[in-house]
Amino acid sequence: MTSDKTPTRRFPKERDPYRWSARGFIAPSVLVVAVLLYLPLLWTTFISFTEYNGLGDPEWIGVENYVEMFDDPEFLGSVLNTLLWVVGTLIVPVGIGLGVALLTWNLAGGTWLRLPFLIPYALSGIGVGVIWSFILGGGGALDQALAAFGIADTPRWLVDAPLNTVVMILATAWQGVGVNALLFTIGLQSIPKEPLEAARMDGATGLRLFRSVLWPMLRPLTAVVVGLSIVASLKTFDIVQGMTKGGPGRDSETLALTMYKETFVNSEYGLGSAVAVFLTIVTLVASILYLRQQLSSKHGV
Amino acid sequence: MRSRKIPLVIAAAAGVSLLLASCGGGGEDDGATTGTLDFYTNKAAWEPDFDELNAQSESDAEITLNTTGYSDADQYDAFIRQSFRTDKSPGLFTWQTGPSLAELVEEDLIAETTDIWTKAVDSGWVSPDLRDSYTFDGKQYCVPMNIAYWVMYYNKNIFEEQGLEEPTTWAELDAIAAQLTEEGITPYYQTSTLFTFPWFQQLVAGTDPELYNGLATGEVKYTDPRIVEIMETWRDQAEAGWFSDAGSTVDPAVGLKQGDYAMINFGSFFNGSLDGAGMVSGEDYDMFVIPAVNPELEQTPVAVESGPLCVAENSSQKTLGLTYSEWWMSPEAQTAWSEARGDVAFNPQATVADPMLEELGTTVTGGDYQLYDRYYEATPTPILTVALEQFGAFIANPGDPMPYLETIQAEADDYWADQE
Repeated sequence: MTSDKTPTRRFPKERDPYRWSARGFIAPSVLVVAVLLYLPLLWTTFISFTEYNGLGDPEWIGVENYVEMFDDPEFLGSVLNTLLWVVGTLIVPVGIGLGVALLTWNLAGGTWLRLPFLIPYALSGIGVGVIWSFILGGGGALDQALAAFGIADTPRWLVDAPLNTVVMILATAWQGVGVNALLFTIGLQSIPKEPLEAARMDGATGLRLFRSVLWPMLRPLTAVVVGLSIVASLKTFDIVQGMTKGGPGRDSETLALTMYKETFVNSEYGLGSAVAVFLTIVTLVASILYLRQQLSSKHGV
Repeated sequence: MRSRKIPLVIAAAAGVSLLLASCGGGGEDDGATTGTLDFYTNKAAWEPDFDELNAQSESDAEITLNTTGYSDADQYDAFIRQSFRTDKSPGLFTWQTGPSLAELVEEDLIAETTDIWTKAVDSGWVSPDLRDSYTFDGKQYCVPMNIAYWVMYYNKNIFEEQGLEEPTTWAELDAIAAQLTEEGITPYYQTSTLFTFPWFQQLVAGTDPELYNGLATGEVKYTDPRIVEIMETWRDQAEAGWFSDAGSTVDPAVGLKQGDYAMINFGSFFNGSLDGAGMVSGEDYDMFVIPAVNPELEQTPVAVESGPLCVAENSSQKTLGLTYSEWWMSPEAQTAWSEARGDVAFNPQATVADPMLEELGTTVTGGDYQLYDRYYEATPTPILTVALEQFGAFIANPGDPMPYLETIQAEADDYWADQE
């Protein structure tokens, strides 16, 4: 605001004639934002301090929902599974995506090599879940394929924890690698030619070229991809709902599933909202800390 | 600038929320007794059956259902709960008996149906036993939409090949399971998601119906030694290889058809699925009422599940909904419904199309059988959610039952403490 003060203060007595009409023009958008974005957030926060079954009126109970939430040992399991998702989706889909981009970006016909990876991205998460549960279910496609090679004693992919979470991360990777590869390719192609040539003249190739030139110059894009991946993995829901529904027991439940179950299965809207508030805070803090650290100027090349 | 605007935005948001809140309430009953009735159900797959019934209801009562089917039960629950806060609360909708219905009745959200029940019971259209599930404080709410008895379906070809007969005692059933296992055939179907409760329900109620009821009312703890013993029996059966692969995603009806297992404990609505999978009723598959675990019980307990059709108290179509409910109980309506849906009818005067179901209906309403509420409806929802998960975990990893039972009991303790 400081920079544009000078011109408007030129006639201090004269009021801006457009002041009220300008407010009138922005009012609809402000209202829409307030009703659709701020209000639900405030409402959810309010509900999280109440006991509410979706009928009648919410009853104020203070922080009891939060106490109950943190008291539940299964909730800790949800948190750990969610962390596993965050780490897993960073290593697998983002990692493989970067690999695919690096191996194909300056090849002739690289697009055709990357294209197949993008096809699963057209599916919805629930669809991916259903397909992979046919593959990984007991006696499913994978077990049958392994049996053809004489491997009969296969692990129970979707039944034993934490194996079920790991295979679900791999299913997500099947869908997500293409998009990450695409984003990294865009990043790689936007790197100016000169520093690359200079580095090559100096004899940098392979890993050395990647570590000292490509990786630092990719950083702004990496920050965005990793940031998106962290946020997406914190709210993982569809694949798990499609494959194990969080089970057996609550072994593969993520925070988003806990939130859904408490709210819509148990009709404990208050407790569900408390999980939602917790998840929102974790997601916000994680993204702010991460992006602030990554996008600060000290990493500039 | 900043600090002054934020309170303004909050004030605006609060104002809008008050405005939205004041919209709630509900409509006036328009008093119509004929016309189009808006009907909501979580049984989206049954929509064609409801549509088929319209011909009958139009000629008998001049009411046509306009059906909206939800296929996701949780989403449907949330929709119905929220609809009571609007003036669009449904004139007719399906729900669950047990604690979920009690919750709505307590909030005065459901229209009373005592007169309809009195007339139906007096006319012999419905058994007075069934009325109990619909009675709260001496008054009735909703009418039964469907009824299902939980029985054992079996693959007839497998039974014939093995020279097996339908068992009449628990010992005979055990012998069948043992023989099948020896021949390399898995006796029973099981799953570790959602439908994890039937075998538990069967074992507990078949051992002692009082014990089963005690679990539902909170008088018996899940950690009770008698329950632990039952769980150990279940585990021993699992270790003997009596149950199918819990992680399998094969459709249960298809599994029975291709002989993945010989028997499956399911509600009598399962005929429809088996017919759909290409099996012929009475030829490829048949069913028997599961004998009581405890041979000393005078009556064999049979789990019964019934889903209600309800009318919202504040609906603009309340009178229309109640008129339809009254017609629904009649033999004409139930004969037409049984034909459309291919299900057991709760009205003994109705004609049931499938002879197997007709026979089941007359058998279990006889004096040798005692009907009890299915575990899914009998158990309060928060306990049920945990129990279904824990049974699922136990099925996946049969072992010491105590940790699973303790987890369920912890939730039950919380729940019953809240109820006081």
